[in-house]
Amino acid sequence: MTVSNELVADAAMPQDGNVPTIQRRSVAKGMRQWWPYYLMMAPGLIFFVIFHYFPIWEAKIAFEQLRIIPPNIWVGIKHFQTLFSSPIFWQVLVNTLIISTMKIVFVFPVPIIVALLLNEIRGGAFRKFIQSAIYLPHFLSWVVIAGVFIAVLSPSDGAVNDIIGFFGLQPVSFMTDTGSIRWVLVFSEIWRSAGWDSLLYLAAIIAIDQELYDAAEIDGANRWQKIRYVTIPGIVPTIATLFILNAGMFLNADLNQVINFSNDVVRSKIDIIDTYVYRIGLQTGEYSLATAAGLFKAVLGMLMIVAAHLLSKRLTGKGVW
Amino acid sequence: MAAHNVRRTPLERLEYAIIVSTLMFLVVLTVQPLLNLLAISFSDPGKVAGMSGLTVVPNGFSTEVWNLLINNPAVQRGLLNSIFITLVSTVLGVVLTALMAWALSRPGLPGRRAIFVFVLVTIVFEPGIIPDYFINKRLGLLDSYWSLILFKVVNAWYLIILVRFFEEVPKELIEASELDGANPFQIFWYVALPLAKSALATIALFYFVFHWNEFFRAMIYLNDQSKWPLQVVLRQFVVEGDKLAMVGVVDSNNYTGASQINIRALKAGMILLTIAPILAIYPLILKFFTKGTMSGALKG
Repeated sequence: MTVSNELVADAAMPQDGNVPTIQRRSVAKGMRQWWPYYLMMAPGLIFFVIFHYFPIWEAKIAFEQLRIIPPNIWVGIKHFQTLFSSPIFWQVLVNTLIISTMKIVFVFPVPIIVALLLNEIRGGAFRKFIQSAIYLPHFLSWVVIAGVFIAVLSPSDGAVNDIIGFFGLQPVSFMTDTGSIRWVLVFSEIWRSAGWDSLLYLAAIIAIDQELYDAAEIDGANRWQKIRYVTIPGIVPTIATLFILNAGMFLNADLNQVINFSNDVVRSKIDIIDTYVYRIGLQTGEYSLATAAGLFKAVLGMLMIVAAHLLSKRLTGKGVW
Repeated sequence: MAAHNVRRTPLERLEYAIIVSTLMFLVVLTVQPLLNLLAISFSDPGKVAGMSGLTVVPNGFSTEVWNLLINNPAVQRGLLNSIFITLVSTVLGVVLTALMAWALSRPGLPGRRAIFVFVLVTIVFEPGIIPDYFINKRLGLLDSYWSLILFKVVNAWYLIILVRFFEEVPKELIEASELDGANPFQIFWYVALPLAKSALATIALFYFVFHWNEFFRAMIYLNDQSKWPLQVVLRQFVVEGDKLAMVGVVDSNNYTGASQINIRALKAGMILLTIAPILAIYPLILKFFTKGTMSGALKG
């Protein structure tokens, strides 16, 4: 195949720039050049249409009364009215916000601290050993992690209650305690992600100019002063980006986690929007109401993530994508 | 990191000792629960009852629990289902993602920007589980492995990562191949893929871990228990506490009162069995994921 002038012109164009009008006339010719690439994309594109765009269309059942014999009846925002007047919905919304807030406050800072500590470790082999250990839980499923926590928190023979018992205190059944179950979510999230997430901050720390440390050393800075005045300022942009992104995901309190830590005793404390959608939709069969709840979350979530993206881009130059 | 070759004061040594012990404490918090389960699963089943959650040493030694597990039909089927689903979806995912990413990474491709937006929309707007369920139902995928295999078969995040990688392929290489008369498919196969080996390995590991760990969709789309992947078998047994789901299939006397078998030990073994493939590829994960993230290639 010979390279036409047009292709070269195309290749030289700025990647995301507007196509000049001269190019428009040669769309047909462009197609002849580019069809192999569209063929390469075809399976992926078809996948996105079927599994991501058809569901968006399918979500119209949130505005419909489902009937066994089609067609369904358009009922407008009736299901949303039902939803917003349901106390359970407000409860799951509040639960979602509480759990997300707890995670931002108590989970988010941990990997930053881990990264700062890891950076102080001399000796590559020792540091690699620590990293290899603490990254592991990130790659385990929530089913497995729930299994591990059920064992660790068991009132009869779990490690935590063995320690509590050592101090002569009564064992606590954390998994079935309405007062502690949200903290179980927080700690299991830390267990799973604190190690791995520290990698992002460690990468930012390593990118800090070594000369800054040398200069600080000459000025007689000690370890804490170097952390305070060189390392932390150096990773503030990364912290800001990740914080905004986390905030953008605020309504995702993590279905996969909650569904494995939930039981009849504690459900009212950790029932979130996603588990609510799952329960009233797939278990009770109120498809329209469940879809309405899902759409509510999807729209609000979309606004938040786009806002987070724009804010992050503006403040730090790095966005979500 | 600054080179600390100067003499250290006692205070600095104390600081360092505190840092090291804090991190070692985290290591223990991470690894000890798994070692405890390992110890329980290899203990003499009759001696498991009194074992502390703190120990990492088996009480007696027996492979009884592991024998029972690997001979349990529900576990065997779960294992085979998981392996099948994970392998097929990983291979399919890598192939489709690489093809699409290569095309999307070509500067000047008409519609490139529009397709990017088209993909990004799917990340930002997810209408939820119910519409997803209806699509799978319509396509007749309920109770089929394909409802799991096709789920995120092209993951938008991984696609973007790979596009960013392919964009770095030197233009001169491609132009040279074009002058040699290579067609786009040949360039993809002989130029792009070999250059992207480590990126592709990373993506493959992503897909592998993602599909191996998937349980929610399997739980809601597969009614037929014989199609359940290992995660769902584990969930039913350990999280739901449903002993019959696993035990009922075999002679339940083997597991309860009659013999010495301990449910706690079986659960421990079952958890570890489900982790085993992840542990097997963990060295690769460390190699590729860590490198990828450190080089800033995997911001997603």
